[in-house]
Amino acid sequence: MSSNPAPSGAPLRLEAVRKVYRSGDSEIVAVDHATLTVADGEIVALLGPSGSGKTTLLSIAGGLLTSTEGRVVVGGQDITDRSPRELTEFRRTTVGFVFQSVNLVPFLTAEENLLVVAELSGRSGMSRRDARQRAKELLDELGLGHRAGNLPSQLSGGERQRVAIGRALFNRPALVLFDEPTSALDTKIGEQVMELIQNEMRSRGTAAVIVTHDTRMTHYADRTVRIVDGVLSDDPVAAGHP
Amino acid sequence: MFLALTEMRRAKVRFGLLSGAVGLLVFLILFQQALSTGLINQFIGALRNQSADVLVFNAQARKNLEGSIVLPAQQAAVAQVPGVAEATPLGEGTFTVLAGVDGAAEEQDAVIFGYQLDGPGAPTTLVEGRLPEATGEAVASSRNADEGFGIGDTVTVVPNAGGAEVVFTVVGLAEEINYSVSPTLFTDFAGFEAAKRAVNPDATAVLPSVMAVRVADGADPEEVAAAITAAVEGTEALTRRQAVDGSPGVSAVRQSFSVVLLLFYLVVPLVTGLFFLIVTFQKAGALTLLRAIGSPAGLLVRSLLLQVVVVVLTGSVLAVGLFWLASRGGGGLDISVESGPVLFTVTLVLVLALLTSLAAVRRVLRIDPIAATTGAGVQVG
Amino acid sequence: MSLAVTELRRRPGRFAVATVVLTFLSLLLLLLGGLLDGLFLGSTGAIRAQRADVIVYSDTARDSFLRSRLTTEVRRQVEQVDGVEAVGGLGFSLLGATVPGETDLADVAVAGYELPPSGVPDPPSAGHAWADERLREAGVSIGDTLAVGPAGTPITIDGWVEDTNYLQQGALWVTLDTWREVQNANRPDAFVAPDVVQVFVVRGAGGDGLAAAIDAATGSTSTLTRDDAVFALPGVSEQQSTFNAIIFSTLAVVLAVVALFFSLLTLERTGLYGVLKAIGASTRRLFAGVVIQAVTVAVIAFVIGGVLAFVGDALLPGDIPLQLTPGRYVFTFVALVVAAVLGSAISLRRVTRIDPASAIGSAA
Repeated sequence: MSSNPAPSGAPLRLEAVRKVYRSGDSEIVAVDHATLTVADGEIVALLGPSGSGKTTLLSIAGGLLTSTEGRVVVGGQDITDRSPRELTEFRRTTVGFVFQSVNLVPFLTAEENLLVVAELSGRSGMSRRDARQRAKELLDELGLGHRAGNLPSQLSGGERQRVAIGRALFNRPALVLFDEPTSALDTKIGEQVMELIQNEMRSRGTAAVIVTHDTRMTHYADRTVRIVDGVLSDDPVAAGHP
Repeated sequence: MFLALTEMRRAKVRFGLLSGAVGLLVFLILFQQALSTGLINQFIGALRNQSADVLVFNAQARKNLEGSIVLPAQQAAVAQVPGVAEATPLGEGTFTVLAGVDGAAEEQDAVIFGYQLDGPGAPTTLVEGRLPEATGEAVASSRNADEGFGIGDTVTVVPNAGGAEVVFTVVGLAEEINYSVSPTLFTDFAGFEAAKRAVNPDATAVLPSVMAVRVADGADPEEVAAAITAAVEGTEALTRRQAVDGSPGVSAVRQSFSVVLLLFYLVVPLVTGLFFLIVTFQKAGALTLLRAIGSPAGLLVRSLLLQVVVVVLTGSVLAVGLFWLASRGGGGLDISVESGPVLFTVTLVLVLALLTSLAAVRRVLRIDPIAATTGAGVQVG
Repeated sequence: MSLAVTELRRRPGRFAVATVVLTFLSLLLLLLGGLLDGLFLGSTGAIRAQRADVIVYSDTARDSFLRSRLTTEVRRQVEQVDGVEAVGGLGFSLLGATVPGETDLADVAVAGYELPPSGVPDPPSAGHAWADERLREAGVSIGDTLAVGPAGTPITIDGWVEDTNYLQQGALWVTLDTWREVQNANRPDAFVAPDVVQVFVVRGAGGDGLAAAIDAATGSTSTLTRDDAVFALPGVSEQQSTFNAIIFSTLAVVLAVVALFFSLLTLERTGLYGVLKAIGASTRRLFAGVVIQAVTVAVIAFVIGGVLAFVGDALLPGDIPLQLTPGRYVFTFVALVVAAVLGSAISLRRVTRIDPASAIGSAA
């Protein structure tokens, strides 16, 4: 396989992470002493209702937000005290993201949306030829080889999400974070996308955290973690493999 | 109304920039209009506001007063042309004069016109005092009254070596009679001749620059002018209006300014039209929602048009403010804030801006409230 | 970077109106600048061409050539001033001239001289002239004999010189004697006695000090450096300040238009920028994209506006003193680019404020 092994250490380790928002005099605890370790190649579903803190936790794991307390280690890198600039670099190189809907650059083709990642890396990234080669490979694997030259507006919702997955995998990240990847899709397409995510992560041995509020999607994960009012708890019903 | 104004309050920077751009553009239009009329008036106001119906130039002078002299034979011939009731000499020259207030006289440039006191060529815009009645008396341009050219002030022509001093006393003031952007005096021809001899003691003769003609009752000045040009060798007779429009530089100034102004008039509506079109596209989602909850399309259109009006009027207030400052600052040329042209410009800009915002209006009218439920209307771009 | 360029290429429509507006504005800037240059160059050529350090006027002339009169006596006084190396007489007559085969008169400035200005050969023989190229437009050719002024004084054209005009009239460079002949035949009211000239052009060392020394020695002159003499010409400094005020206000409009347009675009891209920041794009990179787009639009507008100005110059009637110089193109180009950069800078704050975390947990 073309995937490289994850850097030493677990893809994700959250230790007693706490996130507090201050608004005036009152404090809102969004995440409360969350501890979570995601092992190599493990797919974890983070399940919770809206406002439970799952989005905040995902953002902290991805270096989009910094925690108030606790330690965040991703792929062996401790990002707890990094500056915004260092976090930008970290996001570019170490994690992959798939968002809900506004996702792709509307005026770029599917292939070019993948190449954006290489462009953002500038000279430190791979050569233009290697980047094109990689984009082609990924699109082929995702079953989008024939759609490489299409603009997002010419793709279906499921296809768009597949392009987004390709983009997230482009830099061979240790960890891919999914934010409600199926919420904008209907059930059938959503299931197809989840299946694809599962296959792609497994085949590469890449770890993933998938935030969702939809219990039907959890059986694609190795493990489901629930979050309620910022507190994590392992799902009593172990998610089995299909 | 509430909707339109609240949106503008929330997006102060955007609407502020737009109003600023419109304001600057309207200011530039006003400034250049005033500049072109001001320039033209100050260059040739003296020609426009004198009483001769027809002015006879030397053909060689190319309608330029400064370059024209009418030879004695031509002077006599002009008077013989049918339709000419009266033809008298009119002289023009630029002189160094001593003038000033409270004894602090200093040397400055002044233009002196000499006309025959009972003949054509007298200033027609007297606002104070009286016309000259004897040699040594003069009417001055009212614009320069505070610079030593007020009623009762004396103006001394500085002679060159060998010439004698010539003194004029200002007895009246007339509006817009400047020539060549200099303080201007109208005096009798003998006074003009004396001034010429003061600076050119070697002069063999002092000839009039042009002949000032009063046409016979009922005669058409244009026809009389044409008749003079045809009848008198080496002359070019022009009606007052032709002389003003044909003055060297005036037509060029006018044409240049009109090209520039036309472009400015095009830019204003383009900027406002573009802005409102983009803004309308951006808030298509919100507008769809408003339509879905029952706002009539007319209300949304009205609030859009209200914003256009507010922006143009804010810009115009800014422009008039800038214009007022510029009119005080001067910069060598004094321009005046007149309500007529300002109102005209603002109205024209407003109409043009409303016309181009029709593109945005069309976009608003095309919104389908149903889209709010399917979510399609929320898609942007 | 290429993201910004790709957007320009793929979606030219969304930049079209801004480009059109900026095209009009660059055209305006070029026309206004061209008018200013045309007025300036056409009025001052005869003075700018003088290879002189200072110009001496009679003190009653108030720095006007046409009113100044200097005698040989003054000349001797000037020649004895320390630092003076050469003194030459100069005089102008503004007249109309009949060109063979043409019905319209040509505006000419008959210039009598001794010390050749740059680009002008030594004085020709009596009754002959070096003519400024501008007179070609009036139908003048080499070998023609013009009838100058009401008296029709004949002057034969021997050759061409460039950029030597005086107050928008085409210069005819003649000997001082020929000039006096023209002046006295056509303007008996402004007679010039033999040996009298209007001004002296003086070559020497010392600049301002030289001017003061000359005035002190003669007691009857007013002496200006050549550059001051250029701006002492009637209307020149007023034109400069007025036109420059209009040009800089127009540049402020360019800045406002760019600022407005790109802040709207940035607003529209808030969601997209959030996603790009989340996947590792820096504020700097995104903002650089905005600046590149603004500059590209300005450059395209400049090119179209430049071509239009060039075409317009050819189409406009000849009596509009429009002169498009390479320097004016360069100035306009640089000014537009600077205005575009400054105008797009207003979007920096918005780009900076976009939170990468906004990409997560939002559907829009």
